[in-house]
Order: sequence, then structure tokens, then C-alpha cells
Amino acid sequence: MLRIAVAKGRLLDSFLILLAKAGYDCDSVFQASRKLIVDIGQADLRFILAKPADVPTYVEYGAADLGVVGKDILVESDRNVAELLDLKYGLCRLVVAVPKDSGICRVQELDFNSRVTSKYPRIAEEYFNSLGIQVEIIPLAGSIELGPMVGLSEAIVDITETGRTLAENGLVIIDTIMESTARLVANGISLKTQREAIAALAGVLEEVV
Amino acid sequence: MNLRTPRGVKDFLPLEAKWKLELEQKIRSAFHSWGYQEVISPTFEYSDLFALGSQDQRQAYRFFDQNGDLLVLRPDLTTPIARIVATRLKDEAKPLRLAYIANVFRYDEVQVGFQREFYQAGVELLGSSAAAADAEAAALAATIFNEVGVADFKLDLGHTGYIQGILAECKSQSIRQKIWQLLLKKDLVGLKDVVTSGGLPDSIKGLLLKLPRFRGGEALLDQAYSSAPNQLAREAVANLQKIYQYLSEYGLGSQVEIDLSMVKSLGYYTGMVLEGYVPRVGFTLCSGGRYDQLSRRFDSHLPAVGFALGLERLMLVLELQGQRPKQEAHGVFVLPHSWPRALKYAAQEREQGTRVEVDTEGRTEAEALAYARLRRFARVVVAGDTAITELPLAEEGQSC
Repeated sequence: MLRIAVAKGRLLDSFLILLAKAGYDCDSVFQASRKLIVDIGQADLRFILAKPADVPTYVEYGAADLGVVGKDILVESDRNVAELLDLKYGLCRLVVAVPKDSGICRVQELDFNSRVTSKYPRIAEEYFNSLGIQVEIIPLAGSIELGPMVGLSEAIVDITETGRTLAENGLVIIDTIMESTARLVANGISLKTQREAIAALAGVLEEVV
Repeated sequence: MNLRTPRGVKDFLPLEAKWKLELEQKIRSAFHSWGYQEVISPTFEYSDLFALGSQDQRQAYRFFDQNGDLLVLRPDLTTPIARIVATRLKDEAKPLRLAYIANVFRYDEVQVGFQREFYQAGVELLGSSAAAADAEAAALAATIFNEVGVADFKLDLGHTGYIQGILAECKSQSIRQKIWQLLLKKDLVGLKDVVTSGGLPDSIKGLLLKLPRFRGGEALLDQAYSSAPNQLAREAVANLQKIYQYLSEYGLGSQVEIDLSMVKSLGYYTGMVLEGYVPRVGFTLCSGGRYDQLSRRFDSHLPAVGFALGLERLMLVLELQGQRPKQEAHGVFVLPHSWPRALKYAAQEREQGTRVEVDTEGRTEAEALAYARLRRFARVVVAGDTAITELPLAEEGQSC
């Protein structure tokens, strides 16, 4: 049996649709279930329902053989896991945004006084470093748009799908750091010990993404 | 005063220390019986000995001595042993078989079973480039894990020459490095992007995409051989074939698999590389390989092969497999009503290797029995003026 860590919500729902396309009907088992561990006998899968940011951790430590996680979270986590497959859903962008009325339209215009709030402090730090821009990164756990509104920061680094939430909060995008989609990741040792099962699952998924 | 310990170090309390020493003893006797002599190198050395890459430099504990020389707490034992062999053991008959069991220091994010100070046991076989030497190192690794009671131990063999052979077909240095990094991180999505985005000859595109699936038994080697793009890659496969043959002769064929996508973070490997693991445990248990060029840095040429295992990881996997030895009651607690008799008795028992404690606190018999249960003694005796009498030490349930 393969143990697969997924976060509840859209990533899981889209993954179940993908599995259904591949011939595994898992959806019904999840209906009205509040369990944290769900076994799907037909697909020989055990779902471990974790928080998104924790998925790479479960996989790195081998508590799960596989994981489904956004590329953004994967890069931010810097965990040692194998990246097997681009599942090509959950497309979003990791962007730098500033208040519309700041008049800033390029990242280079952020000066050394700038503070940047983000749920992605590692990626943000690397990004600004690579441009030689020295800013102060302020890590937040959520509602990143609040930062500039309450005077905590001059810019934010956050994910967006349509940009609507950003616009509603008076923010404009000045650069895109990366695009992100859902990825199938694996523990390095599971890749060896569960070679056939993982190859089979990755194979059928690759055909339907 | 700060009574905490710094992040990344830990105490071994008596039971853990005892278990660790027992494991080390088993490993030591395996080293000995395979002809490997233990060496003890200094805990710190000059920093430039280790020729650390910029990434590794940040992971080393470095400091200055009073002369202003930069020192480093040893991050591995392979380099110090290469130094010893290139200098003080230069004229010894080769090959040399050396072993170590020692702590190493890496200022790294704490990982499973790898604190910032951790213990390694390993061997180096120096002065041989024979496939039989590679096989011996791999066989010793597997034998040790089997002997200390790890179940389902598996050893994966790879070869740096195979990947180097493939990459030799690619003219661009930066793409070669990129592919190497992607294979190291096992980022197959990124690998696919690089391979399909062009700049690579068609001859190796398909092979690079297939490489992550080049895992399996001996049969895989034939497939790898026929796919090899050049002589370098073919020689690597032929070399692995020989090593695999030897390992079958050792009776270890069923425990060995081939993984040609294996890439190591340590840059000094030049031939066979190995990695040990067990199912259901998400980390490697041992790691090693052939490193023929390392000694060139010390102006000698000594092809070598070796491996190292992490003691804490070994203990963790034994624990996960339920193989941690139970603490059995043993030894004798002596109440010295007559000191001459008690000490004579204690000396006799100690001679036999028995654990003996003689009471220093003037305990009553009841107190002695209670204490002996807590301390898990098997027996309590009273050393009287005329005789040694044993007190009945009934097991009062399970004292934990």
C-alpha cells in the first residue's frame, strides 16, 4: 500500500478527479469523512490528510511515500524529496505586489527601507538577494495583503490565481517570481522500496494530466 | 547558567550509552575480523585539509587557534584517513584496510538521525582499484547491518561513471552541472524541462529521461549497457557487473540492487557508489563509494573505496523494527554486614564479569530489595560473618 500525503481542499479534490480519470474511484470514500487517514482499498492507497505546508515534511521523513503539493510550497519548504510529476493543476503565480498608490512599478524601485511581508520568506529572500535588493522580510502566516494596509510592510510576496484579491485590497503586481502547479513528490527511499507501485501510479497519472 | 544543551547535540544516558557501546563493539569486531584496523584521528584539523566547497563551508564548525590558523571540527573521517595514509603510512604495504568509529560535526539543519554532532562507523580500503575491493566494502556494509539485527537491509549500487558518460555527450558545462544538480535533488520535473528544452544531443535525451527508472536487479545492467552512449558509460556498467558478481559470491546477491540514477552530494566519488536502506524507513542507513582522486590533493595516488554508517540512524532503525534489546535484570547487589566477606565476594563476582554493587548507605534488607528492583539487579545477597545468603528477590509485577 502506498501512503500519500495530501492537503484537504482544492489540491485533494483535483487529485481525486485525476485519479478518477485514471480509473480509480476514490471520491465516495471521502464524502462526509472527517478522518485524517483514509484508505482506498481499490487503488491500494492510504491518504494522509495534512496541512499543505507539512506535506513535504511527511514525505521527507518517510511517514508518507508520496505527497501532492504545490511547487510554491515545495520550494519554500526546501525539503529533501524527489519530484516525480507535474500534475498541471492548481496553477497560480507567486508575485511581488505593492499598494497601487505607492507609485512603484518595478521591484528595483523598492529601497533599503522596504519591508516585505510574506508566507514565503525563504523564496522571497532568495529572490531579492538574486536581484541585489536589500529588503527586510517579515514572515506572516496568512492574510498577507494586510501588511501594506496597516503599515506593516511596503510590499508583499504572495500567491495569486487571478489577482482579484490583490486588486480588491488596492495592490498591484510588479513582478512574478515563479509559476506554481501541483506536484507529485516521493520519499527517496520509498522510490527504491516501492519502486513498482510508485512507477505504476505515476505512469497512469502521467497519462491523464 | 544555561542548563540546556545547544541545538544539535545530545546526551546518551546510561541505557542508551550501553546500547550504543554494544553496537559499536559488534561493528568493531566485524571490522577486526575483516582485517580492518581502527585509527583515531584528531577531533579538529586545519580547515584547508577538507577543501570544502562553499556549501560545505557553511556546514563546518570552524574556529581560530591562537596563531590565527583556521581550524575545523572534522565533518568526516575519510579525508583525515586519506591524509594519514598519504603521510605517516606512506610506506606501508598496500592495500591498507583502515576503520574508524568516531563523532563528526556538521553545522546543518538537524535531520532525522543526524544531529549536528553524530557518530559514524566506517572503513576505507586504500591502494586498490580492483572491483573485488569495491565488492568487499559493500559486502562488509551489508554484513554489519545483517549482524546487528537490522531486518530487510538492502544495498543499492550506482556508478558515477555512467552518469558522467552520459553527460560527456553534452557540450555545455552549465547544462551538465544543472542536470547533475537535478539528479541529486531527484527533481524529475525539472530534469524533463531541461532535457526537452533543447541543447542536448538526441542520443542522450531519451536515456536521461529513462535514467530515474534505471533501478532494479542484475538484469538492469544489460539494459544499461546497451543504452550506454560511449565507452565511459559502458566501462561503468562492466565494472558494476563485476562488483555484482563478487557480491553474489558473498551470498549477498538478493540484498543488492542497481540504481544508476544515484548521485551523491559529496563530490569526490569516482566510481561505484552505494547506499543502504530498509523498507518503511525514509532515510539512508549507510553511504559510500570509490574515490580515486582524493589522495591527489596530498600528492599521492591511492585509489580507494569505503563506506560510513550513522550510529544514531542505526539505533533509530533498530528501534523502529522493534530490535532494541530489552533491559534484562542482571548482576548482584551486596549488603556488606561483614565488609571483608562482602569485598571478597564482590571481587570474585567481578572477576567473572558480573555487575556488582556493594551497598554504601547502610540499607536494611527491605530497602536493599526495593533498591535492587529499581536498579534491575538479578540477585541480592547478604554478606554475613559466616556466609553469603541470597535474599528472595520476587518480581513485584513489572517495575518500570
